Amino acid sequence: MNNSSNSTTSSPSPSARRLLSHTLIHSVLILAAIITLIPFAWLLASSIKTSADFFTSVFLPTGTGWGGIAWDRLTLVHYERLFLELGIARNLLNSFFISSVTALGATLAASMGGYALAKFRFTGSSIVTSIVLAALIIPAPLLLAPGYLFIYQLGLLDSYTGLLLPAMAPAFGVYLFRQAIWNSVPDEILESARIDGAGEFRIFFTLVVPLMRPMIGAFLLITFLGMWNNFIGPQVIFQSPELFPLSVSINQLKGVYSQDYGLIMAGTVISIAPVLCLFLLLQREFISGLTAGAVKG
Amino acid sequence: MKLCATSSVKAAPWLFLAPFLLIFGAFTAWPLARSLVLACQQTFGPTNTVFVGLDNFRFLLTDPLFWTALQNTFVYALSSVTLQLPLALGLALLLNRPSLRGRTLYRLIFFSPSLVGLVFAGIIFSIIFEKRTGLVNVGLHRLFPIFDLDFPWLQNYVMPALILASLWMYVGFNMIYFLAALQNVPRELEEAAMIDGANAWHRFRHIILPEIKPVTSFVVLLSLIGSFQLFELPWALLSGPGPENRGLTIVMYLYQTGFLTNDLGYASAIGWVLAVILFTLALTQQWFNRKETRS
Amino acid sequence: MGIWIIGLIAIISTVLVFFLPRPQTQGKSFWTFAKPLYENYQPVVTRWNETRPPEERINMVHLQLQALERRLMSSFLSGTPGPDLVEVERATAGQAFRGGPQDIGLSDLTERIRKEGLLERINPPSLALWTRQGRIYGLPHDVHPVLLAYRADIVEAAGIDVSEIETWEDFSRIMAPLMADRDDQGRPKRYLLNLWETNTLAIEVLLLQAGGSLFNSDEQPTLDSDRNVHVVATLVSWIAGPARIAADAPEYTASGNSLKLQGFVIASVMPDWLGGFWKGDMPSLSGKLKLMPLPAWEKGGLRTSVAGGTMLGLPKAGRNPDLAWEFAIHLYFNPDVAVAFYGKTGIIPPIPEFWSLPAFNAPDPYFSGQPAGQLFIQQAPYVPARINSPYYNFSLACLTNAVGAVKQRALDENNFSSDFLSKTAAQELAKAQAHVRRQMERDLFVDKKE
Repeated sequence: MNNSSNSTTSSPSPSARRLLSHTLIHSVLILAAIITLIPFAWLLASSIKTSADFFTSVFLPTGTGWGGIAWDRLTLVHYERLFLELGIARNLLNSFFISSVTALGATLAASMGGYALAKFRFTGSSIVTSIVLAALIIPAPLLLAPGYLFIYQLGLLDSYTGLLLPAMAPAFGVYLFRQAIWNSVPDEILESARIDGAGEFRIFFTLVVPLMRPMIGAFLLITFLGMWNNFIGPQVIFQSPELFPLSVSINQLKGVYSQDYGLIMAGTVISIAPVLCLFLLLQREFISGLTAGAVKG
Repeated sequence: MKLCATSSVKAAPWLFLAPFLLIFGAFTAWPLARSLVLACQQTFGPTNTVFVGLDNFRFLLTDPLFWTALQNTFVYALSSVTLQLPLALGLALLLNRPSLRGRTLYRLIFFSPSLVGLVFAGIIFSIIFEKRTGLVNVGLHRLFPIFDLDFPWLQNYVMPALILASLWMYVGFNMIYFLAALQNVPRELEEAAMIDGANAWHRFRHIILPEIKPVTSFVVLLSLIGSFQLFELPWALLSGPGPENRGLTIVMYLYQTGFLTNDLGYASAIGWVLAVILFTLALTQQWFNRKETRS
Repeated sequence: MGIWIIGLIAIISTVLVFFLPRPQTQGKSFWTFAKPLYENYQPVVTRWNETRPPEERINMVHLQLQALERRLMSSFLSGTPGPDLVEVERATAGQAFRGGPQDIGLSDLTERIRKEGLLERINPPSLALWTRQGRIYGLPHDVHPVLLAYRADIVEAAGIDVSEIETWEDFSRIMAPLMADRDDQGRPKRYLLNLWETNTLAIEVLLLQAGGSLFNSDEQPTLDSDRNVHVVATLVSWIAGPARIAADAPEYTASGNSLKLQGFVIASVMPDWLGGFWKGDMPSLSGKLKLMPLPAWEKGGLRTSVAGGTMLGLPKAGRNPDLAWEFAIHLYFNPDVAVAFYGKTGIIPPIPEFWSLPAFNAPDPYFSGQPAGQLFIQQAPYVPARINSPYYNFSLACLTNAVGAVKQRALDENNFSSDFLSKTAAQELAKAQAHVRRQMERDLFVDKKE
């Protein structure tokens, strides 16, 4: 701070000023955190309230229990209904299935492709690189209609393959891995391995992949998340309800049971809980991967 | 498998690229090419197609629904990015202070909304923004009794509702980028400025802001590109384009024409307009960047 | 660690996906969309299935309305799995009816209907809705006359006698005292009519009642007709401005329901099917409501309207159409079934010979003991006809937007004189007409009559 010589006796001391700014900052952060968390809290509370109680209170129904809350009026009936009557387990399974398979497939393809572009000099590498860069600009909605047409022609409509296969060629991923491998994998190890006579695939899986572990972890998670929350893809490709992931089925739930708010909220909780848990466990990998492309590259 | 060294190395990159190239060729490159033709056709489902030349584009120019979608999308994209980024940067600055306790917790909290899919967020907010009984109106009314309990977010104030929802979702996400950028600002620069007597604002404007410029322009571009492709949030929020198409966006209109009216050709034409808009955006940003670095 | 977690998830889920059986349903599939109908068909389906071999059983599936349309069209256009029997609502039939006879994905039922002598047994306007170029594509499920439901408890407590109300002018005048109560901001605490500028249902009902129409008999759009202009101008004067009598208490939302319970709006247009929804969503209004014919637009004018409509169709790609037809007849032409439906949903069947059944004359406690069935039946012969064009929904949406536009302009210029409203309505409807016409002209697949 500017320690000017004409400080009056009434100006606060530096430590008091620091305390004030400290408190201010924490207040702002806490306020922001509360605003961020309110929808989650409301979502959770709504999913365990009975329909009758839904509008009697904002969060949890008030009553004579501990802390002024009517704990006995809370209920899991919405969750029961979702699992036993409405078959949400199948949708949950579908979400897990398409997200994890896409994540693995896309990561494999992207890491291999990125490796090729980063560590090999070959004719056509610059063309492929330009294609990858150009592809970053293609907006997905542009491919929606012609992609649907092509998948129809292949007879893959209304099948898992129709959704999974196209998702395994992320140009964005190839770009990320190319950057990452370029930066983190020294040419010398590759050379010495080749001199030792190791095959190319062996080199890739035993040398390159371990070095790329953080990036692989992050990209897996990003792709998993993207596919988990993907709505328009399954909506367009899938027609049979037994294929629907949670994004499509919960949206339909809202159409049918538009007034059963507790049910819809419970369904939404089921839809976002797995991803939130995954994130909780793996946040460091996630965030490092997210920022890798932006900050370093 | 031990192949002759030179030939295996020659073939290797293509083998590694094979999965990507094959799938990319089939499901990105081929549809992209096809979409050029498709945009010049009118279809009723995938099997009935008629060639119409540039008629789709001609019709687009006079299609009131398309212009509504365009306007809504522009307003949304510009407003939400303009509001999101300062907030994200502000939070990142607050979190960047070295002595802050609980930074990881705050980061976790602020980032979590972006994990919620747009569909799910739309569903949540469709109930939160309801008149009279929704969380927002009830809460605001309790805090400020003059606030109208029947404030019609989802009928007349659709755009503000969408923007608020997007703020909740993405401020934390963008904050992460800014935080990473701030943490890469060399401490010596800031410390030198402090010794020279620069105050916080001065340090911010002349040290921090220039240092994080590359990340800032990346985040701006990313946010704009994402905002222009908005579809699932208003679709789930309003169960459609909303009253008087107030929530109609470009991609929503594309989805409606392609898969509800079943005209894949018109949908492709809309897709191309979107692509041109985004391409122009990216080019503009590149041009800006080059201007900045030259000066 | 993330790699292992995701790898594990992938393996487990893949195994489960491939070993859990996809629900294989024997028998024929029947798609329906309206929850009350689905619930009421259940006992019929169950009884049918009890007496049939597995491949003749009916497997009824409940789909949300838009989802049903999307999947049906996908089955027509892209060959994805479709139903053997399907209930289609008027609002979603548009796409299905777009092409000519060879393109429509539903079977032509004209011969079947004629052979079984059903033509004479069905209320003609109900059949007309599903007829295109003389061919009938669906068995009609209903008539859907519209009455006015009002809060009898509030109205009678104020000493108002509704039998004096013949026209909408009478309605505004006689019910006006109910709007006298104001809140602290000077706004009425109560409005007379449940209507607002995006309420497509009520706008369509009132338009048709007044004799307005969206299409002429050649399926050409007629949005800018003089009658439509008059209707739009009048509606705007009801929803805004000094003579305002209407406010919004929407269906299917918690806030709308709570407003209705409060008596925020006195009267709502009530198609027979809406009564069924109200009974389910707002049971506490039982005994407080009564039905009356819609006030006419002019003295001696039409006192009812129509809203919605459901048909049962047999997709061309369906299996065993004879069996599907047999079940369709059983479902729709069975007096016991019709009576049971009415009891649960309030929907009257399109078969005049059933109308004299005692069940339809029974007092309905929800409507304060009035014989609701009979009241609707009395209006059934007068229900206005509609032209079922593939562009019906689109035109209705454009007309509704025009109402909103007129309202906005009137508010902007603070001018609610009938002159201004009429002129503005004419302009907005001309725009809407142009829009619909342009859209229809560019459509190469809609069947254009020669």
